[in-house]
Amino acid sequence: MIIYTNEGNPLGLQLLMLAKFAKRSVQVQLVNLNDAKFKDLLILPTLELDDGLRLFSPAAVAKYLLADEGQLRDEWLEWATTLLAPALAHHMAVGHRADPNALPVLNALVKKLDDCLKASPYLAGDKLTAADIAVWSLLAPDGTLKGAQNLDSLHGWYNRVKALPEVQQVLAEQPLKDLSFNALQQSNRYGGLHHVPLKRLSLADSGKLLAETASTVADTVTDEELAAAGAAFTYTAHKDVPQQRTVLPKAGERNVLITSALPYVNNVPHLGNIIGCVLSADIFARYSRCAGYNTLLICGTDEYGTATENKALAENLTPREICDKYFELHNSIYRWFGIGFDYFGRTTTQEQTDIVQEAFKDVHKAGYIITESVEQLLCQKCDRFLADRFVEGTCPHPGCGYGDARGDQCDKCGKLVTATELIRPRCKVCNTAPILRSSDQLFIDLPKAEPRLREWVDKSENGWTHNAKVITRAWLREGLKPRCITRDLKWGIPVPHSGFEKKVFYVWFDAPFGYVSMTKRYTKEYQQWWQPAKGTEVELFQFMAKDNVPFHSVVWPSVLLAINKGHTLVSHIMATEYLNYEDGKFSKSRGIGVFGNDAQETGIPADVWRFYLASARPEGQDSSFSWNDLGARNNSELLNNLGNFVNRALVFCEKNFNSTVPEVVATEEEFILLALVNRELRGYINSLEKAKLRDGIRHLLAISRHGNGYMQTQQPWVLLKGSDEQKQRAATIIALCANIACLLANLLFPYMPATARTLFAQLNAKQTPLNAEKPLATVLLPAGHKIGKPAPLFAKLEQSFIDELKEKYGGTQASKAAADVQSQSSAADLEQAVQAQAEKVRELKASTKDKAVWQPEVSKLLDLKKQLEEAKKSAVSAPASVAAPSNGAQSVQALEKAVQAQGEKVRNLKGSTKDKSVWQPEVNVLLDLKKQLEAAQKAAKAAPAAAAPPVASVDAGKVKALEDKLNQQAEKVRTLKAAGDVAVWKPELDILLGLKNELAALTGAPPAGGQAKSKGKKKK
Amino acid sequence: MCDVAKVQKIAHCLGVAPGKVQLNEEQVVTRTSAKQEAVAGFATILESLANESKSETAQNSKATREVEAQVYQWIEFSVLYVAPGSKDRNVAKQLLADLNKLFATKSYIVGHFITLADLAVYYAIYDLVKSLSPVDKEAYLNLSRWFDHLQNRDDVHQGEPLLNFTTIYLHGWATGTHI
Repeated sequence: MIIYTNEGNPLGLQLLMLAKFAKRSVQVQLVNLNDAKFKDLLILPTLELDDGLRLFSPAAVAKYLLADEGQLRDEWLEWATTLLAPALAHHMAVGHRADPNALPVLNALVKKLDDCLKASPYLAGDKLTAADIAVWSLLAPDGTLKGAQNLDSLHGWYNRVKALPEVQQVLAEQPLKDLSFNALQQSNRYGGLHHVPLKRLSLADSGKLLAETASTVADTVTDEELAAAGAAFTYTAHKDVPQQRTVLPKAGERNVLITSALPYVNNVPHLGNIIGCVLSADIFARYSRCAGYNTLLICGTDEYGTATENKALAENLTPREICDKYFELHNSIYRWFGIGFDYFGRTTTQEQTDIVQEAFKDVHKAGYIITESVEQLLCQKCDRFLADRFVEGTCPHPGCGYGDARGDQCDKCGKLVTATELIRPRCKVCNTAPILRSSDQLFIDLPKAEPRLREWVDKSENGWTHNAKVITRAWLREGLKPRCITRDLKWGIPVPHSGFEKKVFYVWFDAPFGYVSMTKRYTKEYQQWWQPAKGTEVELFQFMAKDNVPFHSVVWPSVLLAINKGHTLVSHIMATEYLNYEDGKFSKSRGIGVFGNDAQETGIPADVWRFYLASARPEGQDSSFSWNDLGARNNSELLNNLGNFVNRALVFCEKNFNSTVPEVVATEEEFILLALVNRELRGYINSLEKAKLRDGIRHLLAISRHGNGYMQTQQPWVLLKGSDEQKQRAATIIALCANIACLLANLLFPYMPATARTLFAQLNAKQTPLNAEKPLATVLLPAGHKIGKPAPLFAKLEQSFIDELKEKYGGTQASKAAADVQSQSSAADLEQAVQAQAEKVRELKASTKDKAVWQPEVSKLLDLKKQLEEAKKSAVSAPASVAAPSNGAQSVQALEKAVQAQGEKVRNLKGSTKDKSVWQPEVNVLLDLKKQLEAAQKAAKAAPAAAAPPVASVDAGKVKALEDKLNQQAEKVRTLKAAGDVAVWKPELDILLGLKNELAALTGAPPAGGQAKSKGKKKK
Repeated sequence: MCDVAKVQKIAHCLGVAPGKVQLNEEQVVTRTSAKQEAVAGFATILESLANESKSETAQNSKATREVEAQVYQWIEFSVLYVAPGSKDRNVAKQLLADLNKLFATKSYIVGHFITLADLAVYYAIYDLVKSLSPVDKEAYLNLSRWFDHLQNRDDVHQGEPLLNFTTIYLHGWATGTHI
């Protein structure tokens, strides 16, 4: 039999005991329910019998494994699962789930047990039954009965059960200290048992039997932990290790090479990029240096490619100048965020050219290069071959069909796309359809490298994040294809191969080598990092967002394996999921979200940004950036928890002990606190060793929370006014808190370096290395140490300020830019844009229910509408010359706009409420407007020439056809409405409105609207 | 639906006199049968009802030891997760998804026949299903199919009006059900 359970789950103990009493052998397998492999498991622990039957209820297991022992036993079994277990789960809950009612309920429950055991030796009579096992196994973890009073019968029974040889054997395999009811939170997908309400007992108050909740956590501290905490809490002076100028790997030591995915030079990085790559890498690198590993952090900008060429054209600069300009921008943003690269380089260096060209020659010599004639998309209008990113079209992958897929990758399904496979391709610049031309290109033969790659992946992927494994496996499952590594461009590294002199390398063969070339810029000895000598182990950690995984796990390793010169291959791919902005997506191309320079402008310190981003890091699943969350975390975690603890400790020390740290005369209280701190410290180290930065913060904050709790219960401010003995106690408390503050400064350093430095200055202390082998708190500030001047570390972020920021950065960058040039864009252009966008949204909504897909488009639409409104306002104040020539058309147009606005209003209302009385009046207004519009249109038609002189070029037949369609649709809507149901006619009404908009575009807009026109027609 | 009502409903399903059903001082449901035998606890009561019943459902629930154990665990699931979880928005959502997944491959919770497990989960989730919109019901299609199948049994609905599982919105044009 197999028991599937999660770490620390107390119910696993019950299954082990039952199996032992039933004399069945059983294996335990620890699982994580988030793991796709275990998606079929509902509740942990689950027992899998040898015939495959799975039982997740311990009571059911008891009844199945053991013989029938009577109804009384069954009642107790049910009592244990449905009353005792939830009460214990509530009792152990902390934070927002803490439940003050749990203790009285639990007291009543143990009272009942005690009463029962007064009458009989075991719960169900004279003999031990499964009921005793069930109840005992629930009371044993977390030391529930520790410190309980007046429960002699229960205690007697507890000890009798514990002494049974079967129980002793189980406890030898499964120590009690590893179990806690808190682990139930991960035992199912319902968040444990917190949703089970505690039954309000009508029993009289059972009195105080169990010890209070607050001390329950402390009660779980074992004697070994106390002893270890006490032994470690001593002072050893740390020698200053001289910093080497150039870090190089050393044989026999831990050498950590860290890279962050190279940001593309043209884009201003947004918060998602920053936490996904550079900031994560920086935090990890800082930790790694603190832990004493030889650490090198390398990053830089990726500069070659069409996008740069284009940008250069647009800004009338050379590509080199563009790169220089944007490189500085990147550099300054990262510097502001306090990213401490050992070297931040660029790909446009001679070193890069040398390394890439040499690598190419090696790969070619090894026989991994094939030449093939490729069909490429040529835009005749722009007169050039289109790079992948400059083609858009419909995603060719079955089941996706996303309309705006790029030529290299589809934003929606995330799959790679070959530009020529796009359905209905179009040039991103001029929107015309490109044609196919063939030219010779070089390919890297990935299928040939595949066997070696598989072998390497099998043994390396253990250190990768889950998503990196999944993505890589998906690639390998589909089988590798040769990938083109050259392009017909000028801005790139020339291909050193005869016949290809005019071509350059594509990003796949260029950018990854940037890591190597930048290291070469850092030191001439770069090969020690990238091709280390035998005996020197270099661990390569690469940080990136998940869309970058294939380049780092498949393409580049294949190239390096093909070269076969002992290159350092990635051992840890640290891929994050995506960070969303409020509710939508961050997107460089669409300009949604907070960008690096915005963060700077907010006036919120870089360290707070670092802290927030790290604590919202999308580890394991997507997460969202939210202004409110940023404010809340700053105020509750940094200010009230961490800042408060540190400041109180230091101010007490300053005011009452003349800024001199007193001596710690530790009692049990102090050792318990140290033991709890050590638990979190171990968690912190374990998390950071695996680059789980978000978990690391959690442990760090837990330490200051323990500290706050300790200070709150000990109340040194009271003791200070008491007897000498009490003053002595106060001195110990303050000294211990100051030491913990110093520990916190060390732990905080990777996340908030500037704050940590301030804190070190206030402590008048230096950073001490972290001991990852033995994570135990030591004395950092010995008695007699003089501290500096304490001051608050953090400032409160007021809600009004947060609201202001939310408002300010609510729109997209594009719309911010648009606002600047608004005067240039006429209302008519905007209207077309609104219509086109509305059409797109409708189609998207119809095709998918996935809000993530259409939400950004809807936001865009709303934005455009806002702009339109403003443009209209300004147009009203503009000279009337525009309006004069076409009076009739104008009024039609105005009415149409009114209809549209009203229609939107009705749609919104209907979406937000089901209360007909709310939206009915608005619907009436809408219908009224429509009638007016119809009349106005008729009138306008009667005078077509006068109405719309600029529209003369519009195909009259098209207008006619559209009008007919519109009439038909209107008729349909009318009949449907007569029949009743809103749900029925609403979609049709939408179609009708769409048609009206099209008509408006045809008749009301200047001839420049050709695009929208043809688009509208194509869609039919 | 409270535990007392659930026990009474299920007793009727099984063709057994419910006897006296009430909550004891621990707020746990208890039953005192006609023979004056007292039983406490929802799952244990259901077992006692099954022992008194000759109905097909009761016989099914005791078919083998394995079936009996599974039926018990699902009754317990209905007590610990379904009934209280229905009142918590997040838990309810996960619960619906989990059950919907379960019914993707099964017509009944345990085995290929109706058991007490179906009845316990049915009455525990009744209020939640009742609160779902047609769109939600369509999203949980498998669960809806199971629920609709059960509610159409006379011994299950016991005269209550049936919940609507019509999922075509355009019933002005075409009426029909997807399940």
